[in-house]
Amino acid sequence: MAGSIEHRIALSAESDHASLPILGRAHEWVVTVDHKRLGLMYIGGGLVFFLIAGLQAATMRLQLAIPNAGIIAPQVFNRLLTVHGTAMVFLVGMPILTGFLNYLVPLMIGARDLAFPRLNAFGFWLWLFGSLLLYFSYIGGDGLYGAGSAPDVGWFAYAPLTERAFSRGNSTDYWILSILLTSVGSTATAINLLTSIFCMRCEGMTLRKMPVLVWLAAVVSFLMCVVLPPLSAAQAMLLLDRFLGAHFFDTQAGGSAILWQHFFWIFGHPEVYVLVLPAFAFANEIIPVFSRKVIFGYSVMVAASCALAFISLGVWAHHMFSVGMAPAGNAFFAASTMLVSIPTGIKIFNWIGTMWGGKIRFRIPMMFSVGFLAQFLIAGLTGIMLAVAPFDWQLTDTYFVVAHFHYVLIGAIVFMIFAAIYYWFPKATGKMLGERLGKWHFWLFLIGFHMTFDTLHFAGLRGMPRRIYTYQPGRGLDTINLIASIGVIFQAAGILMFLINVIRSLRSGKPAGDDPWDAWTLEWSTSSPPPEYNFAELPVVRSRRPLWDLKHPEDPDWKYE
Amino acid sequence: MDDERNRGHEQTVIEMPAPTAWPMLMAVGLTLSFAGLVTSVAVTIVGIVFTIVGIVGWFGEVLPVEHTESIAVTPALEVPRAKVAVAYLEVGEMGHRAVLPLEIYPYRAGIKGGIAGGVVMAALAVVHGMILHGSPWYTINILAATGMADLANANAATLSSFIPSAFIVALVIHGVASILIGLLYGVLLPMAPRYPAFFAAIVAPLLWTGLLWASLSVINPVLDARIEWRWFILCQIAFGAVAGYVVDRTEKVRTLQHLPFAVRSGIESPGIMRERIEREPEK
Ligand code: HEM
Ligand SMILES: [Cu+2]
Repeated sequence: MAGSIEHRIALSAESDHASLPILGRAHEWVVTVDHKRLGLMYIGGGLVFFLIAGLQAATMRLQLAIPNAGIIAPQVFNRLLTVHGTAMVFLVGMPILTGFLNYLVPLMIGARDLAFPRLNAFGFWLWLFGSLLLYFSYIGGDGLYGAGSAPDVGWFAYAPLTERAFSRGNSTDYWILSILLTSVGSTATAINLLTSIFCMRCEGMTLRKMPVLVWLAAVVSFLMCVVLPPLSAAQAMLLLDRFLGAHFFDTQAGGSAILWQHFFWIFGHPEVYVLVLPAFAFANEIIPVFSRKVIFGYSVMVAASCALAFISLGVWAHHMFSVGMAPAGNAFFAASTMLVSIPTGIKIFNWIGTMWGGKIRFRIPMMFSVGFLAQFLIAGLTGIMLAVAPFDWQLTDTYFVVAHFHYVLIGAIVFMIFAAIYYWFPKATGKMLGERLGKWHFWLFLIGFHMTFDTLHFAGLRGMPRRIYTYQPGRGLDTINLIASIGVIFQAAGILMFLINVIRSLRSGKPAGDDPWDAWTLEWSTSSPPPEYNFAELPVVRSRRPLWDLKHPEDPDWKYE
Repeated sequence: MDDERNRGHEQTVIEMPAPTAWPMLMAVGLTLSFAGLVTSVAVTIVGIVFTIVGIVGWFGEVLPVEHTESIAVTPALEVPRAKVAVAYLEVGEMGHRAVLPLEIYPYRAGIKGGIAGGVVMAALAVVHGMILHGSPWYTINILAATGMADLANANAATLSSFIPSAFIVALVIHGVASILIGLLYGVLLPMAPRYPAFFAAIVAPLLWTGLLWASLSVINPVLDARIEWRWFILCQIAFGAVAGYVVDRTEKVRTLQHLPFAVRSGIESPGIMRERIEREPEK
């Protein structure tokens, strides 16, 4: 049995790098091709942008806290709005989530690295420089490089608003170029993940024995490969319009105003799933471990995720009901959107099934996961409401929509990002995150989130349009907006607790050991942090819970699977 | 990698891809060559130079042979365990491999329940129309108005008359909604194992009625004004009670969790069934 996991050689976490001077260590990070380091760099970079884009959001909420406030100028608001939305999607959500996949997938499939380690490094740096370009536009400024400064056209950059005639200077070009670059980086990552998952699994890990997270990583990568090219194509066309007068989207010269919307949303809607599927993936790993049960409905879970990815490709025009499509078009996209609720419902059912009858341990990762479950359910319900075309006609471009998508983006995705950080931090650093500060973080963030976004649904129902920099008093919006803005203070306090927690743990956290949660997937079978080569001997697995088998040879899982 | 694995415990070094800065240089180059569009041509030129240098350097590292780095391995033979206190799950403890719920209602039960509930609800609605408006068609037309915009604004006389198209629309809406909600009951009822009747007849109908009550004034204010909410709640509770009763009376079936996909999808595959039955860890 030489080479099977039972005989595997685990490794000590020690490395001699620690003795190098600071510069030497920085150099190591810069030239690294190790998937774990690159994963951590994605996550770290994403968190920095999360703070910046979060401050921008807070500034918007400050301006909107009271009616007729004049804290920031209208155009500044538009710039904040655009950069906040763009950054949260491309510089925060995508990199943090793919960073986790980068870190976890090779460990979970029992491989030493991704298939193309150098391509991985290239993808990361392209993402980072592309991201810096977006924020560089602030420095580009009204003076330095001619008219410009940060883009102010919204994260969707609707043409023809973004044509030269209406968007002078270079701000929109910054938006295009930056997203073009980060998309190339993301596509590289997606190809890398797909190849690794299909070609580099360790012995015995058949497709039916892969952790659900790995399955979802494959689905997400597939989705990225399909939907990023249309976005890049549209952006290339817009560049041609702006620099060479190509008239793709220029209505005055026979171009189409709707074309951009189709291109954008055929990317934009599946993008939501690119963001939310990894969040599901984390839930699929965390909920079973903290419920002390095997996942309920493994194959159904996988099938539902594949179904979600496919359906998401056919619903894009639900963002365009107010464009005035033919009734048949509206009906088709309303119906296909409602279809989404079936696989989603199945997933929620299976998560509850996983918790049912389990011995649930409410540690921080589990608390965030349960918050995610409830909030994602509500986000789904408001989403189905918006899929009803006449309802959407009334509420599109109101704060109801803003509240709905922040329920998905924060209530589901950011909550699961935090759950994942608390869960895998011990693996990556060898230190536990503090439980007490973690609870403060969770409760402050939860309360703040609901104060801000529950209330904003009602602002929308009362007709408050989105993308406005101020509003008139006495229209039933004053109290709502004030509460929403106060909620941001709670959220910020929660994030502060989190930062303190991370710094404290890195300095003097409790040593975690290799497997602090008594988990079952392969990443917990190496030391914390794992050595550069992950596994001294590549593992051999025989069931979906290889570590259970290892710890309990008297009653292993593979007898039953 | 295979021979590496076979060497087993004697193995002391592992070859990993060597660190490199070329991909980063190429990324800088690409970014600069793009950024030149919004700054100056000089930036693009520098960018292109960087890109080319980066490509050449990168290829030099993988062709003809990949640069690697040898890393020493420190062997240890222990199964790693936490250094912090965790309640470890032991074999046999509270069904350590439990896949719950063990039994669910068949989907058929949900559909039947939905139809039964729908029939009772429709009857109540017609009674309501006759008592309050003197016409059995009134409620039917109101329901149809959710899909037929012109009906929503119609006067009481029109609403009390028989309109064939409205009747069909109402039938479709009511039928589809009843069956879907029935299905939902079939799935959800095992989740409320303590008081299924209370959940089915009271909690669920009140939840969705509340949701509708809160949002209908926005979705369809004209319709909202015409709905008599007390009757509405009564109808919903009747639906919930009947549907829940029908579902709950149906015999539960075992979940198919342990069975292989081929069996679950009904594919005849000799050998699989027997094998599984032998392995079933039944007590
Ligand atoms: C404390 C947390 C946050 C607050 C207070 C906040 C607040 C806001 C506000 C005030 C707007 C402008 C709405 C409008 O006028 O239309 C906005 C837009 C947006 N936000 Fe957030 N946000 C937060 C977190 C996030 C996160 C985590 C994401 C994504 C992961 C995100 C994604 C977006 C997007 C995509 C837009 C749309 C931008 C556009 O319409 O161009 N936000 N947010
Ligand atoms: Cu969408």
